[in-house]
Amino acid sequence: MTMPAASYRRPAFRPRRLLQMISLRTRMEVLEWSGTWWFLLTLVVQAVLGPLIGMFVWSAVYPADPYVATYYVALLLVTVMTESFEQFTFSEKIYDGTISHDLLRPQPVIVNTIGTNIAIRTWLTIMGVPVALLTGIAFGISLTWTAILAALPVFVLGATLNFCWIFMLSLTAFWTERVHSIVGFGWTLNSLLGGTIAPLVFLPERLRDIGQILPFYGMLGLPADVVAGRVHGLEPLLTGLGYQAVWITVFSTAAVLLWRAGIRRYTVVGA
Amino acid sequence: MKLLRLFAAGFGRSAQATLTYRINLVFDLVLSIIGLFASLATVFIVYSRTDSLAGWTEAETYVLIGTFQLLSSLKNAFIDPNLSWFPENGIRKGKLDTFLLQPAPTLFLASLSRSTPLSLIQFVLGLAVIAFGLSNYGRLPTPTAILAWMLTLVAGLLVTWGMGVLLACLAFWAPRLQLDVFYGSAWELARCPTDIYRRPLRLVLTYVFPLTLIATIPTTTLLNGPRLLVLAPSVIGAAIACLLAIGCWRAGLRRYTGATS
Repeated sequence: MTMPAASYRRPAFRPRRLLQMISLRTRMEVLEWSGTWWFLLTLVVQAVLGPLIGMFVWSAVYPADPYVATYYVALLLVTVMTESFEQFTFSEKIYDGTISHDLLRPQPVIVNTIGTNIAIRTWLTIMGVPVALLTGIAFGISLTWTAILAALPVFVLGATLNFCWIFMLSLTAFWTERVHSIVGFGWTLNSLLGGTIAPLVFLPERLRDIGQILPFYGMLGLPADVVAGRVHGLEPLLTGLGYQAVWITVFSTAAVLLWRAGIRRYTVVGA
Repeated sequence: MKLLRLFAAGFGRSAQATLTYRINLVFDLVLSIIGLFASLATVFIVYSRTDSLAGWTEAETYVLIGTFQLLSSLKNAFIDPNLSWFPENGIRKGKLDTFLLQPAPTLFLASLSRSTPLSLIQFVLGLAVIAFGLSNYGRLPTPTAILAWMLTLVAGLLVTWGMGVLLACLAFWAPRLQLDVFYGSAWELARCPTDIYRRPLRLVLTYVFPLTLIATIPTTTLLNGPRLLVLAPSVIGAAIACLLAIGCWRAGLRRYTGATS
């Protein structure tokens, strides 16, 4: 039986209920992922490699500068804690048609995607923190609690920004089978201009100016720079938060538009 | 000769299948170019701050990046498509049974029968980067240096294959152990001159897990000419890696009991 269009009411937006659903899903996913520790370990290794290579390269260029090691240890931690894999956890559902299951549930599809994202990040954080600690001890870095606390809001927005970016790219799965290549391209941009290949301050002037405008620095480099003490004081922090918020708005809007266009296009055998 | 014909037939079939999907071809070409530009941009950024990175000049580093691209493309094209799926499909799902029944060496079928020809795009780009690096270097390598460089590349390729087989062989004893991702990650360390790494790691990368043979040794051989003290250990190392791989594979096969019967 189909419901007459006139009697259909769009469900009211209830943030508290949404948060509860995300929290439940996250708990479920954390338990599900707990059995795949070996796979999670490979993800951690892949995530820490870029910052480690960057640290070795720039430590060879500036052996006496303590900023390099501090920045890269912070970056290593930020990278591990903000990794996003929606090209696997979301796009693959479009390819194999299992997103239909999510579409039939009385909840927004994004709930499951966010839950999985937070669960994976939780496990990567648990496994990545010892690596960061060991690297920090090996390179003799020292962090201040004030810098770590100041970095928290920037980190939260950076993690959100990273999720929005990868999720937006993953939505292209509605149109192409090459979503992994597209996300790979996004990853390359992120490494180049986000602060992995080089801290933004080491980039040539013109590239640095571009990097400060584009969103990638807000995902990785900015939180690491706050922890390393390169960005400090209320005004630069507020500017950074504003710049991250603008890009989150841009990517979320783009994701909503892509989702609406994509779901109209989506067809699946058996639907 | 028979193996070469088999190898050529497998490669031809893969190339035919790949060329059917032209959009994918364009995608991979564009991505390879972007990836390469990112590597070159890294070199450019580093050398905008310094003239020498652990004793390596900018032109030398370009040659190193090009050489790394060459071996990476060969690894991606011929080794990874076979060995990365081996622990799961070959052992856990029992696909190895099919190979055991075929009239060709099992090790060849399991490690070299499939290929991804699109990855060879990187090979061409790598050659272009080497040419660019050499033109900046200001001095062309001698024919002997080029021959020695090719020899070290072959040695590097054999070590890569041998280590890939050794890691895959672990699945005979521990089927759930899949180390190819770690190998792929460690491989990225060869992208930079091994001289930048601190001493314990550098020693590991030279003697235990010889990634220095991937790009650093071939590049120094091409630029500074062949040295017996470098060439001989490289060739011996390659021979040892191959013998170990073959020995381990045979030992593993004796242990294998099949998963499909």
